[in-house]
Amino acid sequence: MSKGELMDSVKTRVKGILGNQQVLLFVVLILMVAFFTWRNPIFFSNAVFGNILSDWAPIILIAVGESFVIISGGIDLSVGSTVGIAGVVAAFEMEHLTTSHHSQNFTLIVGLLIAVGTGIIVGAINAFLITKTHVVPFIATLVTMGAGAGLSIVFTGGGPVGGGPENAISMTVPTIGPLSKPGIIIVILVLIAWAFLSKARFGRYTYAIGSNSFAARAAGINVNRHLAKIYILSGILAGLAGYYYYLRLGVGAPTSGQGGELQAIAAVVIGGIALTGGTGKLSGTILGALILTTVTSGLIIINVAANWKQVVVAILIAAAVLLQQLRSRARK
Amino acid sequence: MAKRRSIAAVALTATAAMLSVGMMAPAHAATKYTIAFVMGAEADPFFKAMKVGADAEAAVKNVTIIWQGDPSVYSPATQIPIADQVLAQKPNGLVLIPTDPTALQATNDKAIKAGIPVVNVDTHVNDLSKVTSFITGDNADGGAKAADALAKAIKYKSSGSYQVVVGLTSATATTNVGRLDGFTARIKVRYPHIKIVDKAYSQSQPSVANTNVSNWLTKYPKLNGIFAIDGTNAAGAASALQAKGLVGKIALIGYDAYPGNVDLIKKGVFTALVAQNPAAEAKLAIDYLVATLDKDAAGIAKIKKNVVIPNVVLSASTSAADLVKYTYVA
Repeated sequence: MSKGELMDSVKTRVKGILGNQQVLLFVVLILMVAFFTWRNPIFFSNAVFGNILSDWAPIILIAVGESFVIISGGIDLSVGSTVGIAGVVAAFEMEHLTTSHHSQNFTLIVGLLIAVGTGIIVGAINAFLITKTHVVPFIATLVTMGAGAGLSIVFTGGGPVGGGPENAISMTVPTIGPLSKPGIIIVILVLIAWAFLSKARFGRYTYAIGSNSFAARAAGINVNRHLAKIYILSGILAGLAGYYYYLRLGVGAPTSGQGGELQAIAAVVIGGIALTGGTGKLSGTILGALILTTVTSGLIIINVAANWKQVVVAILIAAAVLLQQLRSRARK
Repeated sequence: MAKRRSIAAVALTATAAMLSVGMMAPAHAATKYTIAFVMGAEADPFFKAMKVGADAEAAVKNVTIIWQGDPSVYSPATQIPIADQVLAQKPNGLVLIPTDPTALQATNDKAIKAGIPVVNVDTHVNDLSKVTSFITGDNADGGAKAADALAKAIKYKSSGSYQVVVGLTSATATTNVGRLDGFTARIKVRYPHIKIVDKAYSQSQPSVANTNVSNWLTKYPKLNGIFAIDGTNAAGAASALQAKGLVGKIALIGYDAYPGNVDLIKKGVFTALVAQNPAAEAKLAIDYLVATLDKDAAGIAKIKKNVVIPNVVLSASTSAADLVKYTYVA
């Protein structure tokens, strides 16, 4: 191979790596871990990784739902308030069951079902507004976002709802490496979602609708039914995130998911999914969410005010969008 | 056709929803006076507890209460329009809990100019000269008492060296600032070997407070104590300590006697809780306004321009009766 051919080969490989957002995100994550560890070696510990994954678990749940929604060409602003309302509704029921002397495990299972059920209701309302009344997703989910946030405060009076099973918090203690039992279940759920999006017909329909809904309809896809499934899925995952927050805090707090929709959208965008729909991978969202939570813990560990997190996240979003545009131009 | 039916269904649902919300508004019975309370974040359990006190005293004094604030946002931008709407209803008296001392001054003065006597509660406007009274819990005193409780819990000795962290909600909320100042000043004077090694803000979210404390517990293996400056931070810190199995090993001093937090005193999670008495603040505000409106000379003579209602430190040694007495009832 001549020197010129070698240079061309290297250039092509570098371009290939730069064009792969997942590889770049992984590099960014490694660099962050290296930087935070350099500034404070305690960062590279099981305990800190446990903290990061505890923060990551609820964010990735709502970010996965948001990924499906955004790839289908929509947006779900209600995920944050669904987290809050699912958590408090489940907390009320668990408080009631505990005072009625039901077993802790039974109470926790009922709480889980209630949280998921609340998510299904919010998702179904979104689906109804979007597919039956043809309200655009931004407005439809803005409505449920406001109603959900308001109702959680009305139900609770603003304070946390406790009095549930005493073993709730202990469930989120890491048991296998930095992962707790609910954390492991969430990782499995994320892997199933990844398989659904990248390998199954469900995912192909989602991409097709996001790319061109008219063409998808012409190809025989029941677009409305598929969109309804996606918004209900997003609601279920937000409900699960609300339940996870309950386990972590031992109380249902109406503010638990506050701003969660923006965190989810940030994870999705940093992960390389275009807000225009039709493209992107769930692996990007997984890394995007991991980067967001690594920044949070890292800044605390190295003594930088947590408010800087917003600045760092803004830079990451800008970089991710810029990269998407560069790749889009390169393709053209 | 189907689309039209859907739109009609949505319109009907929305109208029904609005009507049912409207039906929830309390009917005003004929009473002697109407007194309006205008606060920042209505949903804060502190204000919920204040409302319990206000309602009880209103029943005694035959007063109707207007209770208004933003559901959850503590900000002058949301409070000023609400205060203006309340003043348009021409209440006989106003209890203002300003979210900002400068921004709410004009609203405060507007009410007084309209002949409505004003009492400031909890927080205050800059110029209190025309205000009937300013009634508050003492935040600086609460911070100082928290420092005393912490020093006692960690068995402070002048030969020792101690690390503590402080969880706050925001850098500017006057209550947070007052408590932190009181805490810091007391440590500087009485406990110089205690070092505040870190502080962070939770933006009213227990999950954020939990993240902050979880990371501190890893970062500072020799941490001796935590001062959680309000109810939100108390909830987040308590869950983090429980998850890390450090209950009883690290002193946790919380603020605000939310029912859940009081339960955690009994379980040993909180070493101590600094409790305010918002119900007493509301009761006194109504008493002062009714005396003013009645032009009751004896009652007016009892009005103090500044009233500071002392805080109480609750701990495992507090009597069950006192724990019940100071728990915020919503």
